Amino acid sequence: MRGLTLLKPTLLAIVLVICFSVANGSATSSEPTSHGREIIFAIGQMPLNLDPRYATDAASERVNRLIYQSLVDFDQHSRPTPSLASWLVLSNREFQFTLKAKRSAFNTPTKIRSTFLNARDVKATYDSFTNLADSPHAAEFSNIQEIVVLNDDTLIFKLKKDDANFPTKLLIGILPAALVEKNHDFSHHPVGSGSIQLLDWGNKLTLQRVKDGQRISLLEVKDPTVRVLKLLHGEVDLLQGELPSELIQHLESKSEITLKNSVGANFSYLGLNMQDPILQSLKVRQAIAHAIDRETIIAKVMTRQTRLASAILPPEHYTNHKSALPAYDYNPKRARRLLLEAGVQLPLKLVYKTSTDAQRVRLATIMQAQMAEAGIDLEIRSLDWGTFFADVKQGNFQLYGLTWVGIKTPEIYRKVFGSDSFPPHGFNRGRFSDASLDQLLVVENWPAVTKRIHAQLPYIPLWYEGQFAAMRNNIIHFTPKTDGNWDDLAKITYRKVH
Amino acid sequence: MTSIFKQISSFATVIFGVLLLTFLLIHLVPGDPVEVMLGESASTADRDMLRADLGLNQPVVTQFSRYLIKLAHGDFGQSIHTKTPIIEMLKTRYPATVKLALLSLLIGISIGIPLGIFAALKANHWQDIVVTLVSVRLSAMPAFWLGPMLMLIFAVWLGWLPVSGMESNTSIILPALTLGFGLSAILTRMTRTSLLEVLNDDYIRTARAKGLTEKTVILRHALRAALLPIITIVGLQMGSLLAGTVITETIFSWDGIGRLLVESIEKRDYPVTQACVLVVALSYVLVNFVTDVLYRMADPRVKFAG
Repeated sequence: MRGLTLLKPTLLAIVLVICFSVANGSATSSEPTSHGREIIFAIGQMPLNLDPRYATDAASERVNRLIYQSLVDFDQHSRPTPSLASWLVLSNREFQFTLKAKRSAFNTPTKIRSTFLNARDVKATYDSFTNLADSPHAAEFSNIQEIVVLNDDTLIFKLKKDDANFPTKLLIGILPAALVEKNHDFSHHPVGSGSIQLLDWGNKLTLQRVKDGQRISLLEVKDPTVRVLKLLHGEVDLLQGELPSELIQHLESKSEITLKNSVGANFSYLGLNMQDPILQSLKVRQAIAHAIDRETIIAKVMTRQTRLASAILPPEHYTNHKSALPAYDYNPKRARRLLLEAGVQLPLKLVYKTSTDAQRVRLATIMQAQMAEAGIDLEIRSLDWGTFFADVKQGNFQLYGLTWVGIKTPEIYRKVFGSDSFPPHGFNRGRFSDASLDQLLVVENWPAVTKRIHAQLPYIPLWYEGQFAAMRNNIIHFTPKTDGNWDDLAKITYRKVH
Repeated sequence: MTSIFKQISSFATVIFGVLLLTFLLIHLVPGDPVEVMLGESASTADRDMLRADLGLNQPVVTQFSRYLIKLAHGDFGQSIHTKTPIIEMLKTRYPATVKLALLSLLIGISIGIPLGIFAALKANHWQDIVVTLVSVRLSAMPAFWLGPMLMLIFAVWLGWLPVSGMESNTSIILPALTLGFGLSAILTRMTRTSLLEVLNDDYIRTARAKGLTEKTVILRHALRAALLPIITIVGLQMGSLLAGTVITETIFSWDGIGRLLVESIEKRDYPVTQACVLVVALSYVLVNFVTDVLYRMADPRVKFAG
């Protein structure tokens, strides 16, 4: 009995905790606002910076597409198309842009007078790069010599050197000139002319649609299992991508959840170090390509609508339209034979570096088992993202796995495989050097470039991961896009279910 | 009084050592803040210019002294990625960690110490065996398993609590229980062992012979004597909790200092990493100091080191 008396505080604590939680009730779906119910979107990584001159992470760029408008965008075949402005090529050094007649005003805070976007705002935005010593995009625009404003609607970009593809670079969201002059903090208080504006940025990032006031909040939930639990519990309404296949299957079995899939365009690959004596042999690279059973991996552990890849740019890209290349088939016997022909002693020991992401490690483990059949002894080293990416950039690897996200222009081939693009001058992290390819890059013969890269295998192409979104049944008008953008937040709707 | 000053000066030395080590280590790890800021395609001239702007081309000693001067003015700098002043980040993240740590500690103590006393009083009976089994099981449950289990039971099945996040007042309960259960298991076992050692001592027998109630004997006499090792464990655990519990904070989307530290390391956001390490070190020092004070209160024979 005396023991029970001493247990009183314990029982009291437990009872208090339970009472407290029941009394407060569960914090499920958000409360309705005057503009309708807030829609909550669970994301794996919160945007880091909403100033388009600094943003580089995927989440920031996806939000910035909604907050700001850019001069140029891309169509479904990744051809540059007018967004805010159409353009005339006066020469390879001069481009005249004319803003569309009907355009939006800046969504400024109430205390600042709202103005309609004009050519001076465009000039101020791009001119500001010259004063930003720490912008990761500054190098992209260092070729601009002068921007001449002809009138409110027209301006000319004059370049220092020829660049026929210059319009494809004008994707930066346009900022109001008056605020640029005042060094406004766009990173945390963005002001754009897009379909959505920022309301608040605390534990969640709350956006508001301009046309109807619909509120949409982005909530960071890092753990994929927790994202799924929150969706099932009704604490969030929507999530997109970044889930292992077993969790997707679990969601498919839930009647209250709708899943939507689409093909993806983000290219996953194995990068090879071309300065490694073993990997310099084309036969060894071909053997690695034949040692991976991509079709089985896609079927067993990837999202629906994942496609085999044969080049960085997907088959629907305008450069591939009539020349899609076949993927390397899984053939461990052939892989083994190629290794022997290359004079390699089996088993061939290779080190594969990847991040600590659970799905990445899982894929590495599967490839390790598959490659063993071909006589390749793959050692997996999973490193924290910072160390892994630093190693990749410094060429400190034999093999690594990464994904190119949101690539639109064939310029990527020059930056990734050109002999003059070794870091820090580009992204040729594998230090691939091929005179024939360099010549093709100069003349921009993209189908031939793609074919040459496919034959030489400086990358082992893997797949374009399918996109998917899972939402509660009362969420409509949201479809995942091939590059994973969130453009549909501009029209997503909460439907009352009776 | 002198010994307290000695204690404080030794803490200051520890903090200075932490600052120096963090500063040097961050300069040794792979990665370059200029590259993090400008990306891979920046020209060498731009890199050199930014390096000069940031003072990174100065000798390490100069950089370290400038860092110390800024710190003395309360200037932690700003995040490379978000451009947010670090002091603002700490102002929101650290209180969240402290709140979680205190509630976890409260839960751990409220469950652990009474259960430990109960087990000691029922030593070698079936109740003791049950308590020991439960505490062993609890201490063997990692947060990455216990957390999702609690979410499943209390949020998804029962619908009483939110799964994760910081949006409502009740959001803290599940992460606090996840941490508190682990702590309570340790405290149960420590209290039981510690109490059993003193329960058969002469002064306890004397207290009982004087006719004191069992409650007074246990709480005033036995528990006070058994408290020193418990304070040690609580101090150590509190230090760990204040340093941020990365796994629990990540699972429950709790924006605390531990998560901030790990994210800053992953993104190579060096100024944030330095600030977080400093705050964590200060927390440990503070908790150690408080533990020493509690030692003296529990047992006046204990004196400050030095």
